Amino acid sequence: MPQNLEQEVKELIAGVIGREPEELKLETNFWKDLGVDSIKAIEITVAIERKFKVSVRDEEIPKITTVGQAVAVIKGALEKKAK
Amino acid sequence: MSSSTRIAITGLGPISSMGIGKDNLWKNLVSGKANVKKEEAFIDGELWDSFFLHKVEGFNVHKFGIDEDKLSDIKAWKEGEEITDLNYLLAAVKLALDDAKLDYSKNDNGLGLVLAHENISLMPFGLKVSNLAYEALIGKSKDQLSKKDFFNSLYKSFLKSGYDIQSFSDLYHVARVFNIHNYSLFLNNACASGLYAYEAAAEIIKSGQAKAVVVAASDNPEIYKYLWFRDLGIYSKGGKVKPFCKDSDGLVFGDGGAGVVLEDLASAKKRKAPIYAEYLGGGFDLEGWKITVPQIGNDSYQKAINKAFKNSKTKKTDIDLLVPHGVGSQPIDYYEAKAITDTFGNNPKKPLISAFKPYVGHNLGSSALLESLIMLLSLNNDTVLPALNYENPDPKFNIGLNKEKRQVKLKTAMKICCAFAGFNAAAVFRKIP
Repeated sequence: MPQNLEQEVKELIAGVIGREPEELKLETNFWKDLGVDSIKAIEITVAIERKFKVSVRDEEIPKITTVGQAVAVIKGALEKKAK
Repeated sequence: MSSSTRIAITGLGPISSMGIGKDNLWKNLVSGKANVKKEEAFIDGELWDSFFLHKVEGFNVHKFGIDEDKLSDIKAWKEGEEITDLNYLLAAVKLALDDAKLDYSKNDNGLGLVLAHENISLMPFGLKVSNLAYEALIGKSKDQLSKKDFFNSLYKSFLKSGYDIQSFSDLYHVARVFNIHNYSLFLNNACASGLYAYEAAAEIIKSGQAKAVVVAASDNPEIYKYLWFRDLGIYSKGGKVKPFCKDSDGLVFGDGGAGVVLEDLASAKKRKAPIYAEYLGGGFDLEGWKITVPQIGNDSYQKAINKAFKNSKTKKTDIDLLVPHGVGSQPIDYYEAKAITDTFGNNPKKPLISAFKPYVGHNLGSSALLESLIMLLSLNNDTVLPALNYENPDPKFNIGLNKEKRQVKLKTAMKICCAFAGFNAAAVFRKIP
């Protein structure tokens, strides 16, 4: 598991949506608060899969609406992979 | 036959909410009014849910002049059930064969058959399982759990495996009705099935396995499918398909099917068959990322389109009319628009682009075949239909759909489709002078 997963996820998402990592709190809903749409959500998923070498399931994509949820999905996928 | 054999389209058999039969369909398309209604699903008299649907009306499989003895055999096999999807396939094949003026009354008719459908027996199977399970599990305690609540909970756990059901028996039924004994195939490439079917049919003819091949596809969407698409968040609450628009909110199911006859161009000319177009070739690419979501940024769709140019020996400047998948879902429209602009440039003036789901809805496994059939009618009428519901185009897509009915000389048309599971496909057709 990456040491600084939360920060890495913030930087990754900020890069995809064109914001500064500091603007993202763990609970920031980037759909409601930062105008992320279903198109950007897929781009975020693609970026997460590339960076962390995990596979996000179809039904998890719409659930990734906060940094916290993204971290949880990545953790779950990494744990599943490690088993 | 050989790889140089040219393939003509000689028969069309649409079954859609906009009309049954090519003449009826075209007349209603030109009138420009879609037939969308609210469909209500009841269980034991209790309303389960309702959804907008481009519904086929007045359909009766017994009105097409299909062999009644064989229809009766099918009903016996299906234990008395009338399977609407199967009946659509039978009617579409009949219309297409009659339109092509092909005689199938004898067993040595030289015909082949390709059928396409996403989940032909899912609905009756699902409802039967649900009914049996309810009676067995709930039995006398029906006051504690209504059938509606039981069905609602069951469909979620049942549906994924249900979507994996495949059927050969319906290929048998349709082939038997029309005395088809040559090479036959049932394929399922989700929404792109129709375009895969054209290619399969062309290959069957080129290989000499059949002199002509009927391709048919159908879909009769009901409550289970609606629930799945609703849960995926891609079913329009407003009941309008609005491709490439700012206010698009998803798809609306279509209903019906389509039949198309492909045959060797030389024999079609010899027997003076109606020739709607030549099938020049297709391109196919499987993205293979997710089942229900396209990978934004991937160029699989572009590859399919470019392969179609190569295989059809055409170039982008040859295409007069382009018919996209146009489902009215933001990410899918975005993915599709990117493939179009990467190929034809931003806001291309040529080809003209028109989308047909606002007319006939999303007919799922039959959609690509039905929409290509409409495209062939457009080609033959030198008419580009306006995209309905195209009131708030979204500039971020960098493409514009045709807004008014246009009479223009059309020669070459391309149908493209980006389906679930990443089945990306493109097919090119050219009018024969």
